[in-house]
Amino acid sequence: MRTQKSKIFRALVIIAIFIALLCNSKTITSKTRIDMSGFFTPALESVHRAWALVKKIIPFSSIREENRLLRERINLLNRKIEELKVVSAENARLKTILDFRKTIPYVTIPAQVIGRDPSNWSNSIIIDKGINSGLKFNKAVLSTKGLVGRVLEVGRYSAQVLLITDPNSKVGVVIARNRQGGILVGMPDGLCKIIYISLDSDVLPGDKVITAGYGGVFPKDIMVGQVVSVGREPGRLYKYAVVKTAQDLSRLEEVLCIR
Amino acid sequence: MYKISRLQIYIIILIAISMQIGPLNYLKIFGMKPDVVLISVVFFGLLLGPGAGLEAGIAAGLLKDIFTLDFFWINTFIMALAGLCVGMASDKFFKESKKAVFTVVLFTTILSMSAHYFLVYIFSKNFALNYFSYFLSSVMPACIYTGLVSIPLYIAFVNIYNLKEADDYI
Repeated sequence: MRTQKSKIFRALVIIAIFIALLCNSKTITSKTRIDMSGFFTPALESVHRAWALVKKIIPFSSIREENRLLRERINLLNRKIEELKVVSAENARLKTILDFRKTIPYVTIPAQVIGRDPSNWSNSIIIDKGINSGLKFNKAVLSTKGLVGRVLEVGRYSAQVLLITDPNSKVGVVIARNRQGGILVGMPDGLCKIIYISLDSDVLPGDKVITAGYGGVFPKDIMVGQVVSVGREPGRLYKYAVVKTAQDLSRLEEVLCIR
Repeated sequence: MYKISRLQIYIIILIAISMQIGPLNYLKIFGMKPDVVLISVVFFGLLLGPGAGLEAGIAAGLLKDIFTLDFFWINTFIMALAGLCVGMASDKFFKESKKAVFTVVLFTTILSMSAHYFLVYIFSKNFALNYFSYFLSSVMPACIYTGLVSIPLYIAFVNIYNLKEADDYI
């Protein structure tokens, strides 16, 4: 009991001396402060460096987020550029069709190709215009580059067009250079063939082929294509000429239907 | 029992015909596209037997006839016949062999395209196409292309429906 009291007494005496020293001696207090701060400096420096590092690292998350947003924006803008390119190409195509429409002496209905023949045998397309748009059966269908085919089945909102490359298609044609005639029939591989060309005719590769205007379905002098090769089928009294169509019919997107 | 329901057969045929009308037209080689509708009919005939082959053939042919400007019945007839014949001959083939599938698709394409030619030749007026040139320019590229396309489709088809055991096929 006595020892505990003496311990408390000693502690109080030491504190009182310490307070007295602090209050009365600036030199002692400042020295003590400097020594203490010197003792803690390395620890403080470490803390400071660590904090500086943390301050550097913390913005990374926001930079990463900003980077992500910017990338998304770039992707969005790239997509818009691609969309605009498509719109621009479509615009150019439609402008060509519009210009072409003005040059031909027929009333035409522009239509878009919405489907193609599922078989390898036939060559036909489905267009997005029908009776409601004024389309009629057996009328010629053109593109800006030349003849495409004729309307063979008309629905209310769509129609099927038999292309000139279909084996069932027959078109009266003439060679533009010498007006020698023949019948253009289609082939399943996308080319056409003029049959019934007389043996003495001088059809040559590179000759332009145009419609003859017989029969009233196809107007006269519409570009059909170009002769690729000329030959003679064995046992027949006629020559034939293989024709490449002026318009690539497998890549057709818009057509003009004569009303 | 089939692992493939009737509804699934019709859905697959509808997808095949949609592909045939649309995107496959941009994948033409030598003016020919792979006949995925015929491939699907051959698969159904080969894996599910003559009944399913015939049914799938009629459905696929009818759809083809709707979207083509040919004689209306011709595709239905040819596709149904193809499905039936492949189904009847299905037990003669080792179905897990990709070579067998390629061969079946190749010959079915040749026979169906040739049958198409001769039927049109008989029923069409003033038909001017020569069979030999048709064979070289159309049938050959189409059958090889269709045969080659059938191999990955067959692998996908068998994996999707998990057709591994013999019982799964019948």
